[in-house]
Amino acid sequence: MSEKPKIKVATAWLGGCSGCHMSFLDLDERLIDLAKLVEFTASPITDVKEIPEVDVGIIEGAVCNEEHEHVLRTMRARCKVLIALGDCALTGNIPALRNQQKLADVMKRGYVNTESTQAGGVPTAPELPKLLTKVRPIQEFVKVDAHIPGCPPDADAIWYALTELLAGRAPEWTPANMRYD
Amino acid sequence: MIAPKQISVMINGKRCVGQEGETILQVAQANEIYIPTLCHLKHLSPWGGCRLCIVEIAGSPKVVPSCSTPATDGSEVIATSPRLHQLRRSTLELLFSERNHICPICSMNQGDCGLQHQGYVHGIDSIRYPYLYPSLPVDTSGKYFVLDHNRCILCTRCVRACEEMEGVHTLDVSHRGIHNRVVVDLGATFGTSDSCTSCGSCVASCPTGALFDKASAFRGKLNSSQIVRTTCLECPVGCGLEVYTRENRIVNVFGDLESPINGGHLCVRGRYGTWAEPRERILKPLVRRNGTLEPASWDEALEAIAGATNKFQPEQKALLVSPRLTNEAAKAVKQLAGKFDRIGTFVAPNEAALCRANGGPAVPASALDQLQAADTIILLGARPSRDNGVVAARIRKAVRQRGAKLLIFHARKSDLDRYADISANVVSLERAFWKQVGTVLQGAQRPVLVYGPNAMTSIGITVMERLIKIFEAKTDGQPPQLIPLPVNTNGSALVAAGIEAVEDVGLWLSAMPPKFLHILASDEPDGGARLLREKHVPALLDEIDCLVVQASYRSALTDRAQVVLPAAIWCEKSGTITNFEGRTLPVRQVLPPHGEARDDKVILETLFS
Repeated sequence: MSEKPKIKVATAWLGGCSGCHMSFLDLDERLIDLAKLVEFTASPITDVKEIPEVDVGIIEGAVCNEEHEHVLRTMRARCKVLIALGDCALTGNIPALRNQQKLADVMKRGYVNTESTQAGGVPTAPELPKLLTKVRPIQEFVKVDAHIPGCPPDADAIWYALTELLAGRAPEWTPANMRYD
Repeated sequence: MIAPKQISVMINGKRCVGQEGETILQVAQANEIYIPTLCHLKHLSPWGGCRLCIVEIAGSPKVVPSCSTPATDGSEVIATSPRLHQLRRSTLELLFSERNHICPICSMNQGDCGLQHQGYVHGIDSIRYPYLYPSLPVDTSGKYFVLDHNRCILCTRCVRACEEMEGVHTLDVSHRGIHNRVVVDLGATFGTSDSCTSCGSCVASCPTGALFDKASAFRGKLNSSQIVRTTCLECPVGCGLEVYTRENRIVNVFGDLESPINGGHLCVRGRYGTWAEPRERILKPLVRRNGTLEPASWDEALEAIAGATNKFQPEQKALLVSPRLTNEAAKAVKQLAGKFDRIGTFVAPNEAALCRANGGPAVPASALDQLQAADTIILLGARPSRDNGVVAARIRKAVRQRGAKLLIFHARKSDLDRYADISANVVSLERAFWKQVGTVLQGAQRPVLVYGPNAMTSIGITVMERLIKIFEAKTDGQPPQLIPLPVNTNGSALVAAGIEAVEDVGLWLSAMPPKFLHILASDEPDGGARLLREKHVPALLDEIDCLVVQASYRSALTDRAQVVLPAAIWCEKSGTITNFEGRTLPVRQVLPPHGEARDDKVILETLFS
């Protein structure tokens, strides 16, 4: 009897703190159950650089620069179901705090006016991705199929959402299982 | 009075009984049907601005806000439906996208935020509208609280609290549409506002983190704090307090909504003076050795005092206590009459007669309600905006909301002057002036005369006599209801217990200079230091062999003592006080005494038993 083919998953983090991926690892022994059902391809955890064609794409973080936008659009093009993981992907959250300032001021504050900087300058190397004028959540760029709120979402919320999606249902968020912090 | 007619409304298929004039929301809440709200607060007027409490009424295509729509007999209301859920969800998504609501960095996070709660209730996991990320200022210039426009949802609860509770209308909403913003004094900041009294009613009403207390921010969640109801000891009004505590420290202090005296409202002294001021607590007994005060054990301190007291006869000893003491501590003080020839309580200048007037049969137990109902208020020699903020708010509201007349006779200006028909800070005896007063008083049906310590001066008494004469000459209306308003918390009860009211401490001390003086300053915010500002007192204290100061806070007075005993503060003791209306109010222990501090009563009993 042939085994049911595993669902292929890719994850990526954009402008975020990686806390959502850490929270994902907090699934602990449930990761073993999950590994029986899914196969992880490209992900910051597996260190596979190129996103292949997958069934499920999971994005952590907000879109802060051109590279983030590129990764997000690639993921969207190569996955069937796209999941936004955590508040940065959903709302912009902490990275979006800089939206209240002009980008030039933000760069100056970061690279020139920092108290510990002696001879600073805004980096201009061509290989560095350019920052977007505003940090934005991912659904303002591409269609998102499911959302897991939280900063970070706790492992139970991630497990609930993934198991519901694997069962072919959309996760239903209630005061009992959701958090914005 | 005719009882209001009973009505019957079907809400979500449940037969609900209410009274005519009640809103749909009131009927629903009384019948335990949940309707989400944001801009609604039970003790403020309905606003109907947030549109979260919308309901459907059978036969009408429109949805209506249930908080401001009267329930009608026989109507059928739907409060929960997929359509309503969608509409409410869209409203909330607009609120979330309009400003910068970043839960992880907000002190109201995790259960204290109404907006976050409604987001959960409506299962909002993402916003379908583009975020606006506006650049908005944060006003941190206020002494006790912060206004963060990023988190404001324009529910106007703060605006209504400012108008309806404190009666100053510092807050309002400026600009139009997307540029709508809560504004302080037409564009000032809290730090520069001259109408704001810092009462903090706005903060207590805010459903989000837009207004938050500096001393309370990030000190723990309110929704899982312990709450103890007690009485404010800052002035003789005796407002009910709700004290929130976690791990033996105060998280915040709010007005008790159930209190018949303040109904949830507090002035700056009760709301912040009680806990948000930096003061140096005395945590251990101190004994002077070789000229310097050194920490000592209770036994050492008591021994030092016993050694000193035994040297002197009762006539060489005096006990001076704060008028903030509880009735129980006052009783303990009175029982020491055998040990001390003279026992007094240091009241404010001219306050002694007022303390004697208070608590008698002439003072109505509903003085505050009478103030609320008065059509003419005369304020003589009292400064409620400084001394009794909740009374000042009642007066402001009577004038501004009901058009009551206000006459103020006082040597010093206060914010109430701007609402007054007559404000005489220098009293003139000219006939024209009194004629004008007579004109203002004409037609007064429910006049109230509130008088403070300065009414007991010769000028004050002259004014009082003139006023009474005017009322006697009047043919219509009632004579004024007299309400004495002292400044000290429990002075009247102490005087009623037989303790002498001392207006002039210098005179009192010099009349029979004691060798041993025990000053019980208790939790006086200044540690009793104001005694040193009285004439001759510093010099007279230098003459004393042994000065014992029992106080909660370090001050210039405790620095002069031979022995300092740490006293418990308002939230660490239990007992009762008697307010200016003669009501006996409970003082409940909220926290165990800090450090080695002890209750005043316990200290006196161990010292002199």
